[in-house]
Amino acid sequence: MPRQHASGFALTQRQAAVILLAPFLTVYAVFLVYPFFKGIWISLHDWNLMAVAFNPDAKTYVGLRNYERVMWGRNITWGALASPGFQIIGLIGVLASAFLYRTGRAGKVTALAMGIATLLLFVLPGFHPGEGGRWYDRRFWPTVGNTILFVGLAVPGVTITAMLLAAALDGETRAKAVLRTLFFLSQVLSVTVVTLIWQIMFSPRQGLIANLTQLFGGSPIVWLTAEGFAMAAIVIATIWWSLGIAMILFLAGIQDISKDLYEAGALDNATGAKAFWYITLPNLKRTITVVVVLQIILHFQVFGQSHLMTSGGPNDTTQVLVRYIYQTAFRDSELGRASAMAVFLFVIMGGFSILQFVLGREKDE
Amino acid sequence: MSGVTLSNVIKKYGDVQVIHGIDLEIENGEFCVFVGPSGCGKSTLMRMVAGLEETTSGGITIGTRDVTRLDPSQRGVAMVFQTYALYPHMTVAENMGFGLKMNGVPKPEIAEKVAEAARILKLEPLLERKPKALSGGQRQRVAIGRTIVRGPEVFLFDEPLSNLDAELRVDMRVEIASLHKQIGATMIYVTHDQVEAMTLADKIVVLRAGRIEQVGAPLDLYRDPDNRFVAGFIGSPAMNFLSGHVAQGALSIPALKDVPALGLRLPSDGTKVELGIRPEHLQIDPDGEGFRLDLIEKLGGISYAYLHAETGERLIIATDGESDLTDEMDVGITFNPARAYLFLAETGLRLR
Repeated sequence: MPRQHASGFALTQRQAAVILLAPFLTVYAVFLVYPFFKGIWISLHDWNLMAVAFNPDAKTYVGLRNYERVMWGRNITWGALASPGFQIIGLIGVLASAFLYRTGRAGKVTALAMGIATLLLFVLPGFHPGEGGRWYDRRFWPTVGNTILFVGLAVPGVTITAMLLAAALDGETRAKAVLRTLFFLSQVLSVTVVTLIWQIMFSPRQGLIANLTQLFGGSPIVWLTAEGFAMAAIVIATIWWSLGIAMILFLAGIQDISKDLYEAGALDNATGAKAFWYITLPNLKRTITVVVVLQIILHFQVFGQSHLMTSGGPNDTTQVLVRYIYQTAFRDSELGRASAMAVFLFVIMGGFSILQFVLGREKDE
Repeated sequence: MSGVTLSNVIKKYGDVQVIHGIDLEIENGEFCVFVGPSGCGKSTLMRMVAGLEETTSGGITIGTRDVTRLDPSQRGVAMVFQTYALYPHMTVAENMGFGLKMNGVPKPEIAEKVAEAARILKLEPLLERKPKALSGGQRQRVAIGRTIVRGPEVFLFDEPLSNLDAELRVDMRVEIASLHKQIGATMIYVTHDQVEAMTLADKIVVLRAGRIEQVGAPLDLYRDPDNRFVAGFIGSPAMNFLSGHVAQGALSIPALKDVPALGLRLPSDGTKVELGIRPEHLQIDPDGEGFRLDLIEKLGGISYAYLHAETGERLIIATDGESDLTDEMDVGITFNPARAYLFLAETGLRLR
């Protein structure tokens, strides 16, 4: 009897899995899957936030009109040299990835990813309004450009700084442990605190940086309102803020390298910088890939730094995509158009997520 | 090519001294094996020769150069690591040529030397592979190839065979021996396996707890050990020891009914001693008594009999492979007194 009773409560592995996963799946569906599809659905409507809030029927289906109004314009033409700077770099990149793949210096996936990225760099800036034409939304593409510039500066900045710090702070001394903690500490601060700290740092009157420039006889830069410096200021604050995680990942990667290799290196006359270049760096390849892709995904979503430090200014030079989406949706109440931009951002980040997934599975050649 | 001289070499980690003033002379072209149980300091001593561990005091000379304070790369040594320590991101050829590349040797010369080493070690078909795509034995050969390419004055091997399976270990042992014949350079080889030591060495250095117990040619150590430790360490299976003492100017060994005269000058009465006899120098007397045969392992060529005395002491005896002895017999033992050794129980020193 007791045996039958017990079997009545026994779950198969599958049932147990379903029950244990159910809470997560419910939350995931309600707060992520549903809003995601709702967002796409909104992007296909002319949807004013205020109007729809008061009258749920005050929306009209417009198909892909929102996407057109955000990304396209009147009389848009394409020229191979419309934006020579980007397009030449893009062209060189395409050729370089083909060359690297042919000579076997880059793997298939790496070459393909690099090829696609540089091809886009060649194709996309070629679009421009022809005679008498104009973009429907003059601010969108410059905002995308600013975001890419921000990512392009912050990601290498974080990666290189974090890697050098990790190499310097790898070790068992107490001082190194303390410094590791200190460098990681900035990571736990909220964006509000970080931007406040750096606003003070960049302040032309009492800021540390201004004091230093004055000490050496320079005149202080008004970082946050000077067109050439505002983006740099945001990037610097961001690097300081997001150094910690990258540093920890690099430390883990470095500690994974067998000490024997450095001893073999010492016998082969590869010590110090040579050891870093010939032994540490090649063995960190995987960690570098992970860090770079994670940082790209993270920094495409930049919002707080731009919003709190410069309000997108001066002259829109630090306006970034998420902040533009936010303003379009909640200041201008254009929820449909904002959703279309958000879908655009999703496509970019989805692309990088897939890239990371593929690179993570790629076996070493 | 040159010999290696250690003079009063000491290594301390903080307050803990692990190498206690070692003096050693390794001749040019000699194959010298450091052997001892784990923790005896043999690896540390070799790493001090390599420069991977700092020498706390004393001096190390290679050839005529004092290398005590030189960087590892300037000492003219090359090393094979236990884990091989191949650079995983480089091909076999790059691994072998890396040392020369770092020392600014021109590419054609590197390629030539790598090709030469690959020929010696039969690595030519593998030159473009990465270490991951190699078997254990192949990795081992690449690690050796890397040292050959460097053309060092002294080759160092740090337990190079311990990660290989038994069969491959024998093959590689033979290869290393023939490599030494071919190249003729000074080699230092660390192992805890006394079979490797016996088969490879011109000179064995037996270490224990950071001190040299004895230095000598393999068979000299086997025939003429200085103390109980060396006697027990060299030879396989290990020497048997029976404890006893000196009573009224004669030897008294409780496990043995009658003790043959060893022809030695015995110490004073009451001194505790140990009688050592190798398994291969003992014979079983099936009609005798005093010992119980617990188990006999018949390996075909040879058999090992495991006995215990009435005193509880255990013995191993090597005997005829097709022996008709069986388990659980009561037997006696006989031996040639000239083949027996006597040690002071307290210090382990041999009485001659």
